[in-house]
Amino acid sequence: MDLLGALENFATECNQNQRLRQMNRDWTRLVELWATDTDLRLWLRSDAGLISAGVGSAADADLKISAREDILREVFSGTITPTEPYNAGDLLVKGRQDDMMRLDIITLLIWGE
Amino acid sequence: MKQVVSVSLGTSQRDHRVTISLLGADVAVHRMGVDGDLARAEGLIADLDGTVDAIGLGGIDRYLVMAGKRYEIKDAKRLADAAHKTPVVDGSGLKDTWERWIVEEIIRNGTINPKMPVLMVSAMDRFGMAETFYHYGFPVVAGDLIFASRINYPILTLDELVELGHKLLPEMVRLPFWQLYPTGDRQLESAEGGAYDEYFHAADIIAGDFHFIKRYMPQRLDGKIILTNTTTQEDRESLKNRGVRLVVTTTPVLSGRSFGTNVIEAALVAVSGVTAGCSEWIETVKKARREFSHLTA
Repeated sequence: MDLLGALENFATECNQNQRLRQMNRDWTRLVELWATDTDLRLWLRSDAGLISAGVGSAADADLKISAREDILREVFSGTITPTEPYNAGDLLVKGRQDDMMRLDIITLLIWGE
Repeated sequence: MKQVVSVSLGTSQRDHRVTISLLGADVAVHRMGVDGDLARAEGLIADLDGTVDAIGLGGIDRYLVMAGKRYEIKDAKRLADAAHKTPVVDGSGLKDTWERWIVEEIIRNGTINPKMPVLMVSAMDRFGMAETFYHYGFPVVAGDLIFASRINYPILTLDELVELGHKLLPEMVRLPFWQLYPTGDRQLESAEGGAYDEYFHAADIIAGDFHFIKRYMPQRLDGKIILTNTTTQEDRESLKNRGVRLVVTTTPVLSGRSFGTNVIEAALVAVSGVTAGCSEWIETVKKARREFSHLTA
């Protein structure tokens, strides 16, 4: 599965999860993902908790995430948690701490123990 | 005299020294805040190692214990590992016993009853207290996601608290601690906006970590009961001015302040030589609890 496919699946998982819909009901944000090795740019949008994804840059993003494409794909398909590459410095995040934490929590609630 | 130092990631503005009497021995307690500087805390603990009887970790938990599982916070482990001779404790050895007993005591003496809604600002770090409230049938809102992560999602059942804890904690404990909890001068900040006032207003009892309570509490708390610790005289004045009916501290009020659980656990380890892993631990904690009962609930 490519990165766009992983993001679209991630969006579907979020949208089908009633608890996540409730948690994110007041969360409207645009997230840009930049694959540093392939220069691929994609976006994730939360519109009051309804998540969508697409290809393209998002200059006015609230949160900007950059990493190698394989790392982004693994994070957004649940193969690895974001903490691992983040702590190793392989995943960089620019934006508000709260938004970063929320994305982390979303991935854990979908794929956690 | 036994010597105990509590090395706290909190602000140095709350530093103090006091002598307490416990199990027939005097203990000199010194609290040293490092203003959120983890490396400074690590160096300080290394310097203290072998020179004092016990070291407390303040402003950070080492272990989060939840429903049979124990999660170790990576940054706290790093601090504890800086000492090789002196025992380092974080208060978790008391939270799972002492704080359960406090809730039971104030139920027994009629201070609280299960009709009173409870807001636990954070329950994953005080699972013993939270579980006791649930056990006695109190309606409990656990605000871990709200106050630690600003996700407006109240946790309403013990089952969901445990499920979320087991999903989130294995990863959360690996994050830099400052991302999880206010450290240093951030402990002195108040949140603006009153976004979560509704949870305070809906509760009769507000329980848990005082830094979360202080950061998010609304201007008025009329008639509320606060169950917490690490309060100063100034904090209790502030709560009184907001209309709080009663402040119950889970640790003794000595020289005007209630100590962190890490301080009491460190003092107990210093005077008894018994640590939380020992078979005599529960009995030792019970003895200390009896001595301090008139100073808390």
